[in-house]
Amino acid sequence: MAGHDSGTQHQFTGIKKYFNSYTLIGRRNYVLLTYGSILMIILGFKMRKPKKEVSQK
Amino acid sequence: MNENLFASFTTPMMMGVPIVVLIIIFPSILFPSPNRLINNRLATVQQWLIQLVSKYMLSIHNYKGQTWALMLMSLILFIGSTNLLGLLPHSFTPTTQLSMNLGMAIPLWAGTVVMGFRHKTKASLAHFLPQGTPLPLIPMLVIIETISLFIQPVALAVRLTANITAGHLLIHLIGGATLVLMNINPVTALITFIILILLTILELAVALIQAYVFTLLVSLYLHDNT
Repeated sequence: MAGHDSGTQHQFTGIKKYFNSYTLIGRRNYVLLTYGSILMIILGFKMRKPKKEVSQK
Repeated sequence: MNENLFASFTTPMMMGVPIVVLIIIFPSILFPSPNRLINNRLATVQQWLIQLVSKYMLSIHNYKGQTWALMLMSLILFIGSTNLLGLLPHSFTPTTQLSMNLGMAIPLWAGTVVMGFRHKTKASLAHFLPQGTPLPLIPMLVIIETISLFIQPVALAVRLTANITAGHLLIHLIGGATLVLMNINPVTALITFIILILLTILELAVALIQAYVFTLLVSLYLHDNT
């Protein structure tokens, strides 16, 4: 649907080559980065929780 | 009154034995299997109907998508015949049960998604971000697209359940109102009866349309992933 790569008209250099919202690879990397960030935030909160309980005791 | 309204949606029992499986299997015996080159009229009409539906439904698919032809045709025939049989008085309609519709929607949707991730991993992941999205909106849009993906099977099932259940309830209510009004005001009862007839015609259409919509959406999800 809106999934086909029309990135041939865009010439990206540097980090934009791998992270952009036009090419297939760029969009995939952004999606993986978003999921990875959410996972990191959740893991960060889970790891903080036992430390808080230990300090209160 | 309330108990009578919802009594037709409870699990049907015969002498204490649930017969819902028999009711689900029943529509299949109404479709004969053509076993000759030139069949009888019923089998010929059935073949013609299936060819007509499959011609339009499978034209958008590539080779991989067309391997789902049998599944899609079975789905539309099953839902259509079940919905139509449910319009007979005092019959039980399996498609009014959310459990049954979720049981159809979730495996089919999951099959298309898994197929997409297996054969086109890059494109399937890239689907979560619309093309040309501005940078500040990217995280929010990825989350929204993920939620909209997981909502798809729920929407499929609830759409079918709600449409069929609502139609049956309306027929119950208006039929009950017609009966009550016959002794009170026959003219109003006649108007209500005409409304009931029109509603029944609408429900016939809704029965077929909902079967088509369910199958078409599964077909579209498959097309996105093949």
